[in-house]
Amino acid sequence: MTDRVLTDHAERISAAAYWELLVNLTKREVMGRYTQSIFGVGWAIAQPLATMAVFTFVFSRLAKIPSGGAPYPVFAYAALVPWFFFSNSVNSGTLSLITYRNIVTKTYFPREIIPFAQVCSRLLDFASAAALFALLMIYYRMPLGPWALLTPAFFVLLVLFTTGVTLATSAVNVFYRDVNPVVQIGLQLWLYLTPVAYSLSQVSGKYRWLFVLNPLSAIVEGFRSVLVFGRAPDWTLTAISAAMTLALFLCAFLMFKRMDKYFADVI
Amino acid sequence: MPATAIQLEQVSKRYRAGRSRTVVDLVASTLDQVRGKGAQVHSAARGTVDANIWALRDVGFEVPEGAGLGVIGRNGAGKTTLLKLISRVTWPTSGKVRVAGRVVSLIELGAGFHPELTGRENVYLGGGLFGLTRREIDRSFDRIVEFAGVERLIDTPMKRYSSGLYARLGFAVAVHSHPDIVLVDEVLAVGDAAFRRRALESLRQLIADGKTVLFISHDMWNVRRLCDQVLWMEEGRVRAYGAAADIAERYMSDVNLQALAHQDTALQSHRGGSGEIRYVRVDLADAGGHPVSLIAPGDALIVRAAYRAGRAVRRPVFQVAIIDVDSGLVVTSASSDPATSPPEIAGEGTFECRFDALPLRARQYVLRLTITDDHLLASYDQVTAGPRFAVSGRGKGVENLADEDEGLVTLPFTFQFPVPADGAS
Repeated sequence: MTDRVLTDHAERISAAAYWELLVNLTKREVMGRYTQSIFGVGWAIAQPLATMAVFTFVFSRLAKIPSGGAPYPVFAYAALVPWFFFSNSVNSGTLSLITYRNIVTKTYFPREIIPFAQVCSRLLDFASAAALFALLMIYYRMPLGPWALLTPAFFVLLVLFTTGVTLATSAVNVFYRDVNPVVQIGLQLWLYLTPVAYSLSQVSGKYRWLFVLNPLSAIVEGFRSVLVFGRAPDWTLTAISAAMTLALFLCAFLMFKRMDKYFADVI
Repeated sequence: MPATAIQLEQVSKRYRAGRSRTVVDLVASTLDQVRGKGAQVHSAARGTVDANIWALRDVGFEVPEGAGLGVIGRNGAGKTTLLKLISRVTWPTSGKVRVAGRVVSLIELGAGFHPELTGRENVYLGGGLFGLTRREIDRSFDRIVEFAGVERLIDTPMKRYSSGLYARLGFAVAVHSHPDIVLVDEVLAVGDAAFRRRALESLRQLIADGKTVLFISHDMWNVRRLCDQVLWMEEGRVRAYGAAADIAERYMSDVNLQALAHQDTALQSHRGGSGEIRYVRVDLADAGGHPVSLIAPGDALIVRAAYRAGRAVRRPVFQVAIIDVDSGLVVTSASSDPATSPPEIAGEGTFECRFDALPLRARQYVLRLTITDDHLLASYDQVTAGPRFAVSGRGKGVENLADEDEGLVTLPFTFQFPVPADGAS
């Protein structure tokens, strides 16, 4: 039972309850998105697949952008899957606290669970898109090398970075709705400033700093290195990205917890 | 002496009025803050206005464990803000809100439910929002479903539920989530009478089990049945805190007086009738003939009216009806006795209708005044919602009145156990 001591802190819920609330809200999000849809979770695959097709046509066939020896569709798709995980999470996550206004203003629970659930709900999309990636690898007869064992590390970085950005944009968007359009435009530009359609090696030294400061560069390049090319990732780049990702996540989380007391007042 | 469940110390809550809408407004108010000026809302359209609304001001009180506390007050008195602070939905601007144990707030029933999910899934989702684990919900699942009476629909998406069922399931999840403190905000207004009774019963059971219940309601009857203490909020401050019957009584007479202060005895313009005769003035007086708008149950009430007839009218019948604002017509009187009423009137005149004893409940009343011909065929004048008056307090001759608010009138009665031996009295 709970200890009934007068306290002016918010009640802590047990780790098990916290986890289950996250699972339930994730489920609610996924069900809400895919019920009464014939194609269901198939849409999660359609998005990167269609983009891959366009990229292949525009960047590979027309612009003749090199893909480092790998088939361009696989090359692009390996980066598109993590990219869409990031961009879709941030996209819906930014609005999530407002979408869930009803429960934010009516009940207390740790608020960060809402943006967390948004990111978690995209894991399903990520998993189905990744399954198609496996099929592509088989189709192009590309074997996985030992470096593929590093994939989980890049996955963790991706999730941390995505969650950090989502926490920040969702919290600030409660106070200033301008955040959402900024995020929409920002994500569009960000796709082209991240080595998704091309590889980082093609970026000349003058602009390279821009990509080093973008933690997603190392993440998508990392996925591509260990899975498509079967070689070691760029360690310096990855280390910088990991440090920035960690710092961003911590800052965003602390900022979120400082702001969340006032969500219900302004939402 | 029971332990304290809820303790508020000097709690104030400020909301910002309006909103900084544009970048220009935002820059202006930021500059003000930097310069140390008070918070103001800058709006290009409306100029500068004071930005602070104090929803609560220096509120302090304690609630012991196992108490039922009714929270009453007009709209905007800060009742819901109080609940939001105690449930940690929001935080005070200054002061301390201390709570002991698990709080469950029912500010809206089923707020966390998702219409696409089934009742079963929503029970787990809603329970999770109250901090319960799956295993804890498993244990009370059958009782929740049984309480809500949704056995047949439990695997149906909730978008197919009626709003009453929705609320019932929301309430059921909340009361079965092992709370130490339950906050209820006027949510029993939804649902049918059977559900309301059941919900009140379960709240009463929680109190009996030593849980603490805060109950916001405008229904004094329910407040008094459920709570032994009442907190009366007014304009963000505590107006009174004490025994339920006493505070509820004071609150009701205050509400009635306030309502009366905003109207005069002049006749309002909702007129019917053909207009050959019109009421021009109606006043209310007590037994001594003094103007009155508040009486006690059993008091006398005199209705004095002035009329003007445009032409001579034969045998008009003046009617005075007393209408309970909430429940409708209580009593009518008419000047249809030829022995006391004039056979014909013309020009101006007055009359008085006297109720020697009005055994009315403590509520608000209006008068409906009509003038018809003696066959009740032609209507000359009709004023609905004429002057108002209120009944409040305990009246003479009805001291043995049961503590019940139901019914239209209060009448003296006695009980005797068993039936007296001689059969008749």
